[in-house]
Formats: sequence, structure tokens, C-alpha cells
Amino acid sequence: MRRIGIIILLLNLSHVASAQDKSATPAEIFKALRKEYDRASSSGVPLTDAERLKFIGEVYKHRNALARKFVDLAEKYPNDPIALDALMQAVWQVNTTPWPVDLVGEDSARARAFELIERDHVKSDKLAPLCQRVSFGFCKEYESFLRKVLEKNPHKNVQAIACLSLGQFLNNRMQRLDLCNEQSDLAKEFADLYSKAYFAELRRQNRDMVIEEIEKTFEQAIEKYGAELLSSGTTVGERAKSDLFRVRNLRVGKEAPDIEGEDQDGKRFKLSEYRGKVVLLDFWSYV
Amino acid sequence: MKNLQDKPFALIGVHVGGASTKKLKEVMDRENVTWRTFVDMGNAGAGPIATKWNLSATPTLYLLDHNGIIRYKWAGAPGEKVIDAAVEKLIRAAEKSK
Repeated sequence: MRRIGIIILLLNLSHVASAQDKSATPAEIFKALRKEYDRASSSGVPLTDAERLKFIGEVYKHRNALARKFVDLAEKYPNDPIALDALMQAVWQVNTTPWPVDLVGEDSARARAFELIERDHVKSDKLAPLCQRVSFGFCKEYESFLRKVLEKNPHKNVQAIACLSLGQFLNNRMQRLDLCNEQSDLAKEFADLYSKAYFAELRRQNRDMVIEEIEKTFEQAIEKYGAELLSSGTTVGERAKSDLFRVRNLRVGKEAPDIEGEDQDGKRFKLSEYRGKVVLLDFWSYV
Repeated sequence: MKNLQDKPFALIGVHVGGASTKKLKEVMDRENVTWRTFVDMGNAGAGPIATKWNLSATPTLYLLDHNGIIRYKWAGAPGEKVIDAAVEKLIRAAEKSK
């Protein structure tokens, strides 16, 4: 069944390739690839857990293949306005879960795509959404991208969002590394998916210095870019303040902030009443 | 989760779904959820506790040791085995310190 799936997938891709040959414009090629990308994301039918896992693997592999085509397009037409759209689409898939690399395959387009973005588009005023997007990820390329945008982009709003996103990226990455120290299977999945050399390098970092840099980055976002707006409408300053609180008070090794409130019976209580006990604090929501 | 009744351990919930105390009580009785839970008032995910704790998704779990220090933090459910191992490790440390 799996084999049939892959054959269908390859047929789809060759279909896109042949559509390109009829001297389509770069914009038309982009549109066709984009359609293919969206179609790859929906199964259209409810799936069992095992089917869903297989489907996720196929979606990632399909998107990885499409990402290479987006990069090819940008390389072929570097001066066309569609080039940046194609490159952003090539790196849009941000993997927040370290799926086993056997399942999802390697994303071989990413490194080249970021190279081209940094070479040709680092001053673009369109980079803010991508900065926000990659702040959730783990890849090595995201860090250098965010640093370069912060350093070289002339638009204050883009700089602001790159600054905030860099702090968030570093903070998210540190939290995942903390978990990897406890879970060797998770550490293996990260190393396999994001490269062993990069992972080893991260584990050699001095955690205190990383934390110091995260705090400085958020402080910069508050002081220099505080009034700039995010796409959600909140200011960079508000968001950075809340992120700074998180990194200072809500990380492993810190005393948990106290909570005072009402329980389900309407009785007031405090988290600190449970000192002396190990506490599993579960933020949940009944949907 | 194993039976931890006689151990120095507590499971505390924070309900951030925006339900009132009365509504939450009904849901918890119906679903047989017994652990003590803070009711975070306000809009879903935007109540004062969720805001202060910079909550981005549920479930988010924090595991605190007997001194109230954050020892583990999981965004998303890490699986029962991982939680059990971490809880047991911290309970051993808590019992040792007595």
C-alpha cells in the first residue's frame, strides 16, 4: 500500500514537471506548485492513528520534494518577483515535532533556500511572516537567517520581528535541549533529523550564556522595538515582556511563580500550599 | 499513572478553557476528573493565570519538586512513561530529604 502511495506521488510530481515545460511564466509555475503543496496537506478522509502516521510521513516527503522545485524555480528566475515567494514557500514547512527521519525524510532544499534568501532578499520588507514562522523551529539555518535579517534588513518592523523571533527561537530550542537531556530517544530523533554535528554543537553550549543572550535579545526587543506591531495586533514590546518573564521565571531550575485562585468547588487555594510535595501542574482545557 | 496516594505527590490542574466554576464542576463530575483544579477565568487561554504563565498550548505540564522548583516542562503530552519516570525520580528525592 505504501509503495502504491509513493508511485502515485511520483506521478503527481512528474505531472507538475511536464506542466512547467510548456513555457509557463514563473508566476504560473509557482501557482501550480502551490496548488500541489496545498493538495498534499489534506487526506480528505478520516484516518486511523496508524494511517495518520503514514500519511504524515507522505506529506512531509511530498513537501520536501516540492520544496526542491520551489528552490529550482527561484534559482532559475532570481530577478523575478516570484523568486522570494518561492523560497519562502520552500522553507514554510517548520517541523516542530522531531518525527523519525525514516518516516518524514530529509529536507534537502532548506539549506540552499536560506542561502538564496540571505544572498538576494535579506533587505526585503516581506520577511516578517517567515521570521515569526521559524521562531517555532529547531533548524540551524533559522538562527543564522534571523541574525542576518536583524543585522541587515533596513525596515524597522522587520528588524523588530526578527529580534523578537530570534529570542523566541533560542528559547524554544533551549527548552527542547533540556528535554533531550532527560530523554535519550528524543535526543536521537533530534540528532537524526537536524544533523548530528549541529546537535552535538548545541549540547556543548554553555546554558547560562545562552540564557543571558535570550534575555538580552528580549530586552533589545522591548527597548528598541517595543512599539512595533505584530501581525496579531499586539506590540513587540508586550510580547517580549511576556517572553522575558517566561525565560526568567518559568524555566527548569527556577522556583515556580505562586498561583492563587479558586478550585472547581469555589474554594480558594494557593499552589505554594503544596510545598513538601512533588507537584505535577497540568494546564488543560476541556473542549 | 500509578497509585501515588501515600506518596508526597499532588496533581494540580489549571483549567484554561474559559469555563465558569459551575460549568467546570459539571464537566469534571461527568468525566470523573478528581484532581484539584484552578479555574482560570476570562477568555479561553487568556485568563490571568494562562497569561502570567505565558501559555501557548494545552496540554502544558510543569513538574515541580518538593521545594517548588520547576524540574521539567513539557509543551504537549510527553507520554505516561516519561511522566511516571520523572515523577518517581522526584518523589525519591523528596522522601530522601525528609
